[in-house]
Amino acid sequence: MTESKRVDQNTLGSYRIQPNPRISVTFNRENIQYGGGDELRTHYIVEGIESQSISAVERSVVWYTEGKGEEDLGVVFFERIQLERRKDSTQTSSASLSTDHLTGALATDLPQSPLSYEGIIVKIRWCVRVRVFFRSGRDFVSEHIFFLGSVPVVRLPAKIET
Amino acid sequence: MEAEIPRLFESASRLPGELFVRLPTFFSKKRGNRRTGLPAWGSLGEGIYHTVLLMAGLTIGVLMLAGVAVPEWRINNQFIEVNGRLIGKGLARHTLRDVFGGAKYSWRPALLVQYEVEGEDVESWNTVHSSETSETRAFALHELDDWELGGQLRCWYDPDDIKTVVLKQGYSWWLWLLALLLPGALVAFGVTGLLQSLQSWGRSEERQAVQFGRIFETFTSPPPETVGFPTIPACDNLVNSPGTMLRFRLPTESPEAWSLIGAGLFSGLWNVVVILLAVNVGFDIAGGRANLWLLGLLAPFTIVGLASVALFFRQLFLITAIGPTHVEISGHPLRPGNQYQVLLSQAGSVSFRKLELFLELEEQATFRQGTDVRTERQVVWQSLIRRWNNVEPLPGTPFEAEVQLQLPSKAMHSFSTTHNTVSWRLVLRGVPERWPALVRVFPVVVFPAEIVSTHNEKPLS
Repeated sequence: MTESKRVDQNTLGSYRIQPNPRISVTFNRENIQYGGGDELRTHYIVEGIESQSISAVERSVVWYTEGKGEEDLGVVFFERIQLERRKDSTQTSSASLSTDHLTGALATDLPQSPLSYEGIIVKIRWCVRVRVFFRSGRDFVSEHIFFLGSVPVVRLPAKIET
Repeated sequence: MEAEIPRLFESASRLPGELFVRLPTFFSKKRGNRRTGLPAWGSLGEGIYHTVLLMAGLTIGVLMLAGVAVPEWRINNQFIEVNGRLIGKGLARHTLRDVFGGAKYSWRPALLVQYEVEGEDVESWNTVHSSETSETRAFALHELDDWELGGQLRCWYDPDDIKTVVLKQGYSWWLWLLALLLPGALVAFGVTGLLQSLQSWGRSEERQAVQFGRIFETFTSPPPETVGFPTIPACDNLVNSPGTMLRFRLPTESPEAWSLIGAGLFSGLWNVVVILLAVNVGFDIAGGRANLWLLGLLAPFTIVGLASVALFFRQLFLITAIGPTHVEISGHPLRPGNQYQVLLSQAGSVSFRKLELFLELEEQATFRQGTDVRTERQVVWQSLIRRWNNVEPLPGTPFEAEVQLQLPSKAMHSFSTTHNTVSWRLVLRGVPERWPALVRVFPVVVFPAEIVSTHNEKPLS
């Protein structure tokens, strides 16, 4: 097989539907509880996917709102890693799926606000997101929740009569 | 002063750090690990949709400009003014047939004008816009009487077609509005949508948020109070008014004031319509014609108009009779766990059966429901600071009371983003003798508690 044919088949192979990767994230706090101004350090591993089918990885630290309202989103850390296509790689069949590991780490100082909040119609969540982009155009995102601050959960009824 | 009631802020039932476990639901926002669709195709579809809207807007705009705006602009800027003579007049009838075979007629005065172009006499019927026609023949005849045969008049002819002549210049603003409004809206909608599609092309929501954030940061600098405290609203307007006894006087957000403004606006607009209707009916009657439909409409419209005026003055009277409320506070912004002095002052001569001062936490969520944008508010926490029964004001002296406010030690801070808000406020609720209940709201801003290191664990790495 000539070099050019190998590249073409490899290109086709990268557009196959890939199985979902497994992404695990390890935090530097066991209870994933942080305070404003604390340093968040995490380490992530992407497994169960052919590394040559991935075009980019984005990792970010975000907060977002949940509840009745439209989602608001804030990003305190964002990094995109563009992966070069390995043109010299040989085609791998599904039977010999690569178990290459994609690993990485990120560190950022957390802001003073907004704190994690579990309200009635408004909730604020913090998470580390790892987003893997496939060469097919699709992507896979993995969210890993942590807590900023220690605001208790709000529960109704809340009326006080004294 | 009421003590903090800890049971209202219950501790989370789940262990800290435990991940949220949810049953799968079909219509909820997707969270956790997931494979997305093909965002590029989504952006492409949106791009095509907005391109179609943009092209439609441009096409309609060009057609309307060519059919309406350009001819009017030419009359005012390119037609040549000459003196002419009226040599003939009549009525022109325009017939409009509908799809059911019926016919609708309109009339306009048709005037034959003689004028001179480069030494040559030209005779031509005047050209008028379709908006100048009348649906009643009698009205067109009445207009025709104003023109005297043989009289001199000013006219404007088209240099490109000297047989086209008009007898008046000017612009129809509403035609221009129509010509620009509809295509303008389509073009604006299409361009914004296209820009959004381009901006989201191949980008994740995090990447878009980062890039948008950077763009906004170059245009706006956040107010000093929010530096270091993202999403906490600025409290400039809450600390710019010194109190007489305590440090700050809080501004009010009285719902009564908004209802007064609403009642005033409604009453004003409604009565303008009633006056226009009445003037129209009056002219009809003076001209010997009585339109029964208009007369029938005028009666209920007048009743509603008078009722709205009465409602407005009732609201105004209620607000002025009860008197203003002032609240002063010893510190601002507030911090969880801290104590503050609060001074309440209620002016006016009205006696109250009950006056209550609350500290409340309100959540507000804005969402789209179909094509509507709705906002839902919910008070999720409320603490009674003090209640006063049977308040009898002394003549010329406002009712005043100083109380202590204790903020819960683990209180959520104020939070405000585009669609979601968590806000704190002091609320005065009163039940006056013989008057409707009173509610006055005084917003406050709560910052997070002073930084206490939570770094009491051994790092894992």
